[in-house]
Amino acid sequence: MSSHPSRRELFRLAGAAAAVPVLASCAGAPSAPAAAPGTFTVYWNAGHDYQAYRAVIAEFERAHRVKVNLQKYQWPDLRTRLLADFASGTVPDLVEEPGGWVQEFAVSGNARPLQDYVDRDGAAMGFPADWQPVTVERNSYQGKVYGVQLHLTCNTLFYNRGMLREAGVEPPTTWDEFLEAARRLTRDGVYGAALNQDYTYMWPWMVQAGVTPYDLETKAIMEPRADAVAALQFQADLVHRHKVAPVPTTGTDYSGPQKLFSAERAAMIFTGPWDLDPIRKTSAGIELGVAPPLKHRTAATQAAGVSLFVPAKASRPELSWDFIKRVTALDVERAATKETGMLMPRKSWVDLPEVQNDPVTKVFADALPTARDSSQQVRLTGQLGRWEEQLKVMYQQVLIQNKPAAEALADFVKAAEGFLK
Amino acid sequence: MRKALLYTLLTLASLVTVVPLLYMVSLSLQTETETLSAEAVLWPQTPQWGNYAELFTRAPFGDFIVNSLVVAGAITLAHLLFDPLVGYVFAKFRFPLRNTLFVALLATLMVPFFVRMIPLYVLMANLGWLNTYQGLVTPFLMDAFGIFLMRQFIQPIPDDLIHAARIDGASELRIYRSVILPQTRPALAVLGLFTFVFQWNEFLWPLVATTTPEMRTIPVGLTLFNQEYFTLWHLTAAGSVILFVPTAVLFVLTQRYFVRGIALTGLK
Amino acid sequence: MRPRTLSGRYARTAYLFLLPAILFFAAFFYLPIGNVVATSLRTGPMADQWTGLGNYAQALGDPAVRHSFLITAGFSVLVVAGSIVLGLALALALDQPLKGRVAFRVLLLVPYLTSVAIVGLLWRNILDPELGVLNRLLAELGLPGQQWLNTAPLLTIAAVTLWQNVGYTMVLFLAGLQGIPETYHEAARIDGADAWHRFWRITLPLLAPTTLFVSVMAVISGLQAFGQAYIITNGGPGDATDLSVFHIFNVAFRARDFGYSSAQSVLLLIVIVAFTLVQLRAGRRGEVQY
Repeated sequence: MSSHPSRRELFRLAGAAAAVPVLASCAGAPSAPAAAPGTFTVYWNAGHDYQAYRAVIAEFERAHRVKVNLQKYQWPDLRTRLLADFASGTVPDLVEEPGGWVQEFAVSGNARPLQDYVDRDGAAMGFPADWQPVTVERNSYQGKVYGVQLHLTCNTLFYNRGMLREAGVEPPTTWDEFLEAARRLTRDGVYGAALNQDYTYMWPWMVQAGVTPYDLETKAIMEPRADAVAALQFQADLVHRHKVAPVPTTGTDYSGPQKLFSAERAAMIFTGPWDLDPIRKTSAGIELGVAPPLKHRTAATQAAGVSLFVPAKASRPELSWDFIKRVTALDVERAATKETGMLMPRKSWVDLPEVQNDPVTKVFADALPTARDSSQQVRLTGQLGRWEEQLKVMYQQVLIQNKPAAEALADFVKAAEGFLK
Repeated sequence: MRKALLYTLLTLASLVTVVPLLYMVSLSLQTETETLSAEAVLWPQTPQWGNYAELFTRAPFGDFIVNSLVVAGAITLAHLLFDPLVGYVFAKFRFPLRNTLFVALLATLMVPFFVRMIPLYVLMANLGWLNTYQGLVTPFLMDAFGIFLMRQFIQPIPDDLIHAARIDGASELRIYRSVILPQTRPALAVLGLFTFVFQWNEFLWPLVATTTPEMRTIPVGLTLFNQEYFTLWHLTAAGSVILFVPTAVLFVLTQRYFVRGIALTGLK
Repeated sequence: MRPRTLSGRYARTAYLFLLPAILFFAAFFYLPIGNVVATSLRTGPMADQWTGLGNYAQALGDPAVRHSFLITAGFSVLVVAGSIVLGLALALALDQPLKGRVAFRVLLLVPYLTSVAIVGLLWRNILDPELGVLNRLLAELGLPGQQWLNTAPLLTIAAVTLWQNVGYTMVLFLAGLQGIPETYHEAARIDGADAWHRFWRITLPLLAPTTLFVSVMAVISGLQAFGQAYIITNGGPGDATDLSVFHIFNVAFRARDFGYSSAQSVLLLIVIVAFTLVQLRAGRRGEVQY
């Protein structure tokens, strides 16, 4: 017995194994590296594959003789993917982001400044003059534009017309009216309101109370503090003290209040245009009312919505910019709104007949100028991730676990001072 | 009496475990409206068989199935080839650094995949293997789970069998192939089954290692049926049923190796 | 006793057989792990600023890291103990000649084979305090509804994990039971040992290699649990289900602090290796030679 035959056999074994993937790869797999010439790679949200954008892509492909590789992802997956791309240096030509990443990637040097293109083409395309001011600010860093807003949404009040009529309640416009209405609407098995477990839904209350989440100049966190505490406690009291809203359940989705609303188990919820479709589809019988955001110290709400940016290492920024110009044209906005009801960032969009003649879209459009960005100042510190993590914990401790707002907020501020310094 | 109790308990346990399958099938036959309704719909009014067809019109779902089969199949074959051999070495050979190497091997199980993912991605990008089958398969050709499993199952095989074969003049590879392997069929069945199931459902690596829709596997492809704020559950469930079928068939095929008696025939 | 020369030759054969594995694990595991260790010494969004052991010092003093490790340990104890006991019990039951056992085996493995997204949705629907099936059922029995995910979040996701994994441990034990020759049972039966004695004296000792495997793997996967927090609770309420690996994932991909997340994974790696060494040592003592 010698080891020679076994060695030979071993090599044969290893060779056979190595052949498995090689053979498999010959089985007709199309392969196209991200930066292949002639291919223009775009990362997009899987929910935003509108016909209106398909038409733009077709035109873009004809104009530049390229093939657009539209890679559709969910937001968390898109982010995972993108961070891996930044590490390896093979980046897509254009990225759609859910709001907030533009400044983050501008700070880290992964996004390309677009100011040179804005200086050249801005006047012709109406940027920034025709965009709502908040959308330009949240996509700029150190005086330069890094991204262009594609959609602009905000949060407002949805109510069940039938239930309010039955209880003889008018749609509330202030916090006090809201609490009073919720009380009168709450009865056995039905809640006057439902709140979301997700911490971002605290912002409309916070900005209505006049709270500034963070001030880069003075380093003040959640000031005026007393108003911030009051705003948080008001929400928790709706659940635990007045019992006009159910305890929200922690989770990964935002659909809790919408489901209760659709089941006619909650009369009022705060949400954005994304819940219109599910409500209309599931509960054709509900007369949906949409009212402006509440007013406390000021009438305000939270701005949200997606933007486009170009990775710093993208090889054809001129093409990427042209894509941005085409997809944010007023006609495309009009077509997308007609198709999906989505809200848009151009000021001139607000005046379109499609917007003015639709009672629901009009309420949102009127609220857009009061919409604020809640985390912009924090993003510029590069600490948004930890800020959000702490906020999530703090909000759920108050809203779900009924920890006193003053105590929870003090803990939060202490932690935030640690990583924001 | 004892049998009746056993049956009752087993039936109860099976009822509890089979719920998700029934629910998944039910979801896959509902209309979108039914899936969105506030109180979960237990069974659709009219089964929507068209949901399954819609998968293929909305996305290159046929490609997804082929990719999943090729990738999970190739990886499973590679595991069946390599893991028992390495497990055999750790079970029956004495050599310097054996325990150190074994612990080093086990340690590879203790780093979550996403932690290694970015270095691995950079490596694959440099090799130009992104968006190819070899890029999807190569990082998973063997793993410590399979090797450890095989070591544990080979260990109880009497050493005398190996000595006897050596005295007969059999080569080491032959001993492995005709003495050891036939004794480990239940373990090989488990190895094949779990490797396939694991790779079949793998999400993160196919997500980052593919750059065109046509190269996606089923789990990554299924994310196309999510909207920004909600999921198209009827399509996701239909895709999940398709995802479920091959693994269930594989289990039905392999579970006969767990029937007492069959494994022992190898001993004779 | 084998002669020295022969044992040397077997060592050479062993290394020859191991060669592909050594190359593979070096390239696809130890190279990236080395990279992770190097990253753990750096900071910044691109992990390009040297900080030495700064991330480690920060991790050891970070209450969130400590908290997530403690709840992960608690979660693991529940899941490891539960899956071994239940998995073994089911395997013993289904190892007998029982009518319909194939069907039972398949049904019990169903949760393990089902897509995690569906499982997550299913449990959220079942456990929903207002609209869920479970509370509707309780109400019909005249019992008060429960806020499962708010009042006992860790216990609830441990139960879901157990429910999903019990079939998997059952299959491993079933395979292990096939390695125990029938003759041992025959002999014991002739000696008049009852079923209870046969289990403790024969089945359990001879199943030791499988039990060791199952428990080592269960501890490793318990300490690395991720999916239930990622899919069902999102780490909440508050930080009640912020399991270690979920926490590390968020530090890496949400907060984009790859240096800090790498340092935390190295620390977790050390803890799991230590646990596993203890288990292997204990297991070696318990192993029986034929």
